[in-house]
Amino acid sequence: MASLLQFILSGLAIGSIYGLIGMALAISFYVTRVINFAQGQMMMVAIMITAAIFAAGYSPWLAVIAGLLSACVIAVLSYLIAVRPIIAFNRFSFGWLVSTLGFAVAVENAAAYIWGPTSRAFPQMLNETSVSFFNAVLTEQQILAIAVAALFTAAFEIVRRHTLFGKLGMAIAADPEMASAIGANTTVFAIAAFAISGLFAGVAGVLIGPNTFANPYLGSTYGIFGFIAMMIGGGTEKPSAAMFGGLLLGILSEGANTLINSQASDWFPFLVLVIILIVTPRGLFSSGSPLMRIPGLSRSAE
Amino acid sequence: MSGKAIAQRSGSSLATGHLWRMRSFAFVVVYLAFTLVIARSSLTVQSLVLVAAVFGVLAISLDLVAGMLGLYSLGQGGFFGIGAYLTTLVAAKYDVNVFYLLPAVLVAAGLTGAIVGATSLRVGGLYFAITTFVFTLVLTVMAIDFPEITGGTQGVLGPLFPDFPKFARPLGASVAWCIMLALLIAIGLVWNIRNSPLYPVLLSIRDAEPFAEAAGIRTASIKVGIFALSAAMAGGAGWLFSFLGVVSPSQFNWAVSLNILVMVLVGGINTTFGPVIGAVFVSMFPAVVNINPWLQEILYGALSILAITTFPEGIAGLARRLELSSRRSAGDADRSEPAATLDETAERQTAGPSEGRPHEATAADSEVIVECRGIEFGYGVGPKVLHGVNLAVRRGHIHGLIGPNGSGKTTLANIIAGRLHQQAGTTLLKGKTVDGLAPSARAQLGLRRTFQAAQLVRELPTSRNVLVGLFDRMSGIISRAAFWPLLPSGRRDGARMEERAERELRAVGAGNWTKRRVGDIPHGIEQLTQLASVTVAEPDVIILDEPATGLSMSEVDHLARVLARIKAQGVTMIIIEHQTRFLFPLCDRVTVLNAGEVILTGSADEVRADPVVRQVYLGE
Repeated sequence: MASLLQFILSGLAIGSIYGLIGMALAISFYVTRVINFAQGQMMMVAIMITAAIFAAGYSPWLAVIAGLLSACVIAVLSYLIAVRPIIAFNRFSFGWLVSTLGFAVAVENAAAYIWGPTSRAFPQMLNETSVSFFNAVLTEQQILAIAVAALFTAAFEIVRRHTLFGKLGMAIAADPEMASAIGANTTVFAIAAFAISGLFAGVAGVLIGPNTFANPYLGSTYGIFGFIAMMIGGGTEKPSAAMFGGLLLGILSEGANTLINSQASDWFPFLVLVIILIVTPRGLFSSGSPLMRIPGLSRSAE
Repeated sequence: MSGKAIAQRSGSSLATGHLWRMRSFAFVVVYLAFTLVIARSSLTVQSLVLVAAVFGVLAISLDLVAGMLGLYSLGQGGFFGIGAYLTTLVAAKYDVNVFYLLPAVLVAAGLTGAIVGATSLRVGGLYFAITTFVFTLVLTVMAIDFPEITGGTQGVLGPLFPDFPKFARPLGASVAWCIMLALLIAIGLVWNIRNSPLYPVLLSIRDAEPFAEAAGIRTASIKVGIFALSAAMAGGAGWLFSFLGVVSPSQFNWAVSLNILVMVLVGGINTTFGPVIGAVFVSMFPAVVNINPWLQEILYGALSILAITTFPEGIAGLARRLELSSRRSAGDADRSEPAATLDETAERQTAGPSEGRPHEATAADSEVIVECRGIEFGYGVGPKVLHGVNLAVRRGHIHGLIGPNGSGKTTLANIIAGRLHQQAGTTLLKGKTVDGLAPSARAQLGLRRTFQAAQLVRELPTSRNVLVGLFDRMSGIISRAAFWPLLPSGRRDGARMEERAERELRAVGAGNWTKRRVGDIPHGIEQLTQLASVTVAEPDVIILDEPATGLSMSEVDHLARVLARIKAQGVTMIIIEHQTRFLFPLCDRVTVLNAGEVILTGSADEVRADPVVRQVYLGE
């Protein structure tokens, strides 16, 4: 049973990363109804900038702050360049798919052009000290990831539910035209929301950076995992549900690796995702999940 | 309309028919000449053009579902992979003729498409895109994780395409001919569908699904069917692709699926050549722009952002818009606005019983054609919306349904039409129980309806919207759609349907507006178009949900005359309306609903005189 506790804890640690990226995707989706394909690139930019500043001899904590800021800047740029012009033309078109994807391609290759395609060193932060619980071992970095994810999710929910800013977000998510009719500045709000989404992605980056090192192609890989986290959880309706999706995804991946074989994490989470999407297309923790749909079903079936 | 006018009309359509036949012939000749040049050119040029052509087929397959049905599939990469791997692996193992594999590939991809479609189509929009995306993701992962079968990330070498026999060698590379012809077939197939009566039907499913269902169209099966066709095309593209070299997972992953959508959007969605233009741009870009690969990718990203933000409708969409505006400024005759008032004279011309329908007596004791018994209905939580509602509508009557807002009128109409299903009670149509039947099945039994907010395809002219109403009156629309303009029977039936739709529009008094897009017409004409799309099918029963809402006084009078004429043809009507001044003179019977219960059914005079009705509804 040693492995059970170990893979659950490691799963929670990596799941926190997936969840943070999933939440980042969900936050920008919440406000604009756009899936930002460049979200993973914000995480990558945070990692690359942190690594570059650290390599230049500055303190790792200063480097981390600069990395997070750069992720926010990229996020806001992605909104201004790739999202806003599209939804200004037609809020329901799929043009954003082309533009956010184009933005992602441009950012990824710009990073590869500047820093080269090979991995570079990343400050080890808390990765070199570890703590053991019973018979499981976690690095302090992993514990930090779980704690930060919990803190960010809680903070996000408190802001969303209990502040005017958060309620404005709910209003814009429900009906942007109505919200702007009653005086909400949807543009300013969207910029703020994208900056926050960039922060979430950037935090995920600096938390996982010590393990992955700095590589310009990290963005796509982690972007996909974040996307799956969002879909499993149902983050398209409620951003914090993406965190639960991420944690579930992390545990499933680690569990598949431990219990099936070392490659199983490549396909097992996808299998789960397919089953979840067939059962509840809007995600496990959304209001459209089976528990909520039962009255609706009985209504139409009778 | 006089016989001479009909002759003129068909004469003119024949002339334009001639023109397009000349044009398509010229296009095919130029295309084949281009193919010959490619087939005889160097391998580098060949592979560049052929890869673009394969992606052209893929983009067309996606445009078929995304453009015409609004289903943004990200599964095309997966179907593409199924085609390529099936061809490669079977050809490597069993040494069969590759041409025998083509039907197998089409069937396999099509069936997979039908299964994926049937499971994911109950969710629309973005969720459909995501489900199909995951499908591609899973297939790629499987291709990587079973290297003993698929060769893993390295992939496997595709089969060789058989050469031409000796006498045909001067034609050049056989594989070039095969791929280019396949692209031509794909272009032709979708062009045919776009010029068939199935096209307005597909757009109505995309933009106004309740309208399509009410016109007797089984929208769910059509969606699955078209998606399966699209999947089969993508599988066919995979078959073609396997002849171009190594088949490996990275060629079919989710990024490829996304790229195919990028091609369609950049080129112009729902256009004939847009997807091909997009495919050429996306697939040739890396080869043509020969700079540092990273800079080249940065440029590609920047260009695709620029393209979609400056031309949100794509390159072909922009061309179409330019053509439209130039034509509008050139053709002065077309620019003259139709009279804003309704076309009264045309209506009188066609008044009187139309052909084929027996003029039935509307005796007060004619048979009951629509009956509701003890209908109970509630929306999930909350109080019952309908409570023990009984309603009997006699053949040939106009039956009014009035009541305050929220009394359950529209809910009752939705239950009769099959959009909602009652929790208890029975609905009978022509004496037969229809409980549990879908709206489309009820429409096929002769029940049609209009909607309070008109549900029409805004980008199509009114006449093509009316055409949707004829869907189940013309057999073989689906089976012939892929070849429609090529078939003499298709051209004949198409002209007949068009003629029928225009006649119906004239009959309701909207004859001046037949060529106008629904997006450009006033509200009153929109209501009449909706009515025409219903009456064109010559139904036995029509349910009209607040037809007079938002109409001007003169439009209301006009509508009353039109409805009286339809009634004279023996059609039964159930009309929900608030304007009793308009409704009562038309009605044989009126039922008053209040808070989900029938308070009275009687003649208009009885209803008007009833003290309870005066209190709850007329406000006294």
